[in-house]
Amino acid sequence: MTEQTPHTDHTASASGARPLVVAVAGNPNVGKSTLINAIAGTRLQVGNWPGVTVEKKEAVFEHNGRKIRLVDLPGTYSLSPYTQEEIIARDYLVKERPDLIVNVVDATNLERNLYLTVQLLELGIPVVMALNIYDEATAKGYRFNIRDIEMMLGVSVVPTSATRKNGLNELLDKALETAAQPAGHAPRILNYGDDIETAVALLADTLRREHPALFSLYPERWLLLRLMEGDERLRQETNLPKDALPEEIFHHLRRGHGEDLEAVMADARYSQAAGLAREVLFRKEGRHAELTERIDRVVLNRFLGIPIFLAAMWLMFKLTFDLSKPFGDWIGDMAGGPFKHWTTVLLGLVGAPDWTVSLATEGVISGVGFVLVFVPVIFMMMFFITFLEGSGYMARAAFVMDRAMHAMGLHGKSFIPLLLGFGCNVPGIYATRTLENPRDKVLTALLIPLMSCGARLPVYVLFVGAFFPNNPGTVIWSLYVMGIVLAIVMGVVFKRTLFRGEAPMFIMELPPYRMPAFTSLCLHTWEKGKHFLIKAGTYIFAVSIFVWFLLNLPWGVEHKKDSYLGQAGQVMAPVLSPLGFGTWQAASSLITGVIAKEIVVGTMGEIYAPKKDEQKKTEASFGEDLREIAVSFGKAVKESVSNVVSTFGVSSLAADEKEDRGPLKQTIHQTFTPLSAYAFMVFVLLYMPCVVVAIAMRQEFGSWKWFGVAFAYQSVLAWGMAMIVYQGGLLLGLGV
Amino acid sequence: MHLAMMKPGQQGRIVRIGTAVGPMKRRLMDMGVLAGEPVRVEKVAPLGDPIEVIIKGYHLSLRKKEAEGIEVEVSL
Repeated sequence: MTEQTPHTDHTASASGARPLVVAVAGNPNVGKSTLINAIAGTRLQVGNWPGVTVEKKEAVFEHNGRKIRLVDLPGTYSLSPYTQEEIIARDYLVKERPDLIVNVVDATNLERNLYLTVQLLELGIPVVMALNIYDEATAKGYRFNIRDIEMMLGVSVVPTSATRKNGLNELLDKALETAAQPAGHAPRILNYGDDIETAVALLADTLRREHPALFSLYPERWLLLRLMEGDERLRQETNLPKDALPEEIFHHLRRGHGEDLEAVMADARYSQAAGLAREVLFRKEGRHAELTERIDRVVLNRFLGIPIFLAAMWLMFKLTFDLSKPFGDWIGDMAGGPFKHWTTVLLGLVGAPDWTVSLATEGVISGVGFVLVFVPVIFMMMFFITFLEGSGYMARAAFVMDRAMHAMGLHGKSFIPLLLGFGCNVPGIYATRTLENPRDKVLTALLIPLMSCGARLPVYVLFVGAFFPNNPGTVIWSLYVMGIVLAIVMGVVFKRTLFRGEAPMFIMELPPYRMPAFTSLCLHTWEKGKHFLIKAGTYIFAVSIFVWFLLNLPWGVEHKKDSYLGQAGQVMAPVLSPLGFGTWQAASSLITGVIAKEIVVGTMGEIYAPKKDEQKKTEASFGEDLREIAVSFGKAVKESVSNVVSTFGVSSLAADEKEDRGPLKQTIHQTFTPLSAYAFMVFVLLYMPCVVVAIAMRQEFGSWKWFGVAFAYQSVLAWGMAMIVYQGGLLLGLGV
Repeated sequence: MHLAMMKPGQQGRIVRIGTAVGPMKRRLMDMGVLAGEPVRVEKVAPLGDPIEVIIKGYHLSLRKKEAEGIEVEVSL
């Protein structure tokens, strides 16, 4: 199953209204996203490329009366057949054949960017170059001979500064102009030197004779060059037998330039790029330490590097969770308070039966509220992650942490998703997007549920308060440490089992520090948040309705024990016996905890110590409720701000006991001992991730497979660890 | 001598990509790590790995294990 992607078949529409298809290609960190955001704004649609987790952005809009479909290709340094991003980019260019390529080039780093440009020219598709970050380059004293670039490459060049929105209209004008007469804008065929060109000509003859059909399927020059350099992916795709390329064609080339034709071609392309950069770029000689280097002298310093990194991470964590928490709480309170109340009143007015009232309030409104509660934290997380990436610090964070993370089979960039997991696993899972390699992404996501999230804390607080009142801190701390230790162990285990083989590479650019454009940052955050709301929201909503039915079926169930949930609890209880809490109450609480682990506490409250029906305030008027909503929103804003201002601790980790759990603490003493209570907490720490995590994994990895793996290993781990704690404790005589 | 043996501040020239093969070799070449290219080791990460080098005028980080596959000659 793949994510729904925006429609890409541009040939199907009527020829008159057919939009001009423009693919945007470029290296990572060249401001491509900013440029696209600035051009397309809210018309951008974000999805995934079919079958993979790489993000796909598209926008359809009009410029000067012409309809344009902009397709953002993943940022790549090359069109090699190895990384997911490169394969997506080249497959799109070769198979979908866009009308035009906009090649975004970083003017401050011309040579390496031109290496990709040179490869794009091989496709024969008209190219318009956006010479981006032009302002910064000229400020550094760089001068470009733009006419010469145009002449030498046969492309149009437009200087742009995407963060300042400079040159974007001209870029689109040029694109339309080029598309109006593509024949007049064919890119130049670059000469890679006599030896290569001779071999290419010979290869062309052979293929034209023996496999003429290939030339209608692929751009000719691209096909020849790629086959010559031994592109295995292309060879398999074309079904060419291994001996289809007669060796003698390459004899001369190999003798003169070396055996490895892939290296010969990389050299030839880079020579073109270097030669061109030399001709068209003028800059003063002599390197002076640039701002980035001066910052890095401190930020990546041997002694200061790690403290600075930890401080930055602490700040990000605090901002993400503390800033969003009051809003999340406010949304939760609103859904649980006034909205439920109004719905009850309204349904009462029309005389709806009780069960519909319950379904509407407990099922539907709770479900919607449950989705919305996550929105602030997801938005905050996306905002900061995007900021870290856009500013260039993300690469430094990876650089600083890679040694430690690599030991567990992870990547330096895995640290941030894992860290976020302590606040809430869900944004942690989404943050694995910053990892490029699918293996790193999945492995990181599998370990995130072992980070004890904020939702598990209320469970600890309840049990620690009831059983370990003398040293609550130590007991809770021990659970966090257990999660981390098990993550390290599981990381090593996965590295040796499911993820055997060469660890992915860490060959990564450390881009210059730049201030991300604020509007682009917000837009990006909004796209991601929207994506979560629509995609994950639907699932979460469905699950909460389902759980409502579990709790309230069979019809007219009086006692929780007789509901499907209670029955399931009774079935499950014997399995939990060896862990010391084999009661249907504990089992049922754990089942509901699958929605969100803090619900364990709520369910226990209902089962063990049912509250007397609260006096519902039915007198409150609509107006008063509205006032209440506004007032409490104001409070949330104030709290959010004061959370940031206050430097003491992380308030999202401080468990607040909103309700009085006194009676519950009393009653759980009857069914738990301190030992079984600790085993129960270990189980809550480790057992299956909540449904929202499951949905996030499904959304990020395109299938339920990896959630299945997480579910399986965590179930085993939870049962095993709790069993060891309980049985081991009994053996040591701690069971009293 | 290989790239991982160079000290921060040292400059050199890439002789060839030695033991690195397949995707890693291609990736290195795509990033501009080519025979004859000047290279300068800029930093070692606080925990001792990876390293940061300047090549083709930009900053590149790679693990020591990866740098071991790149043969260099030190010039300064």
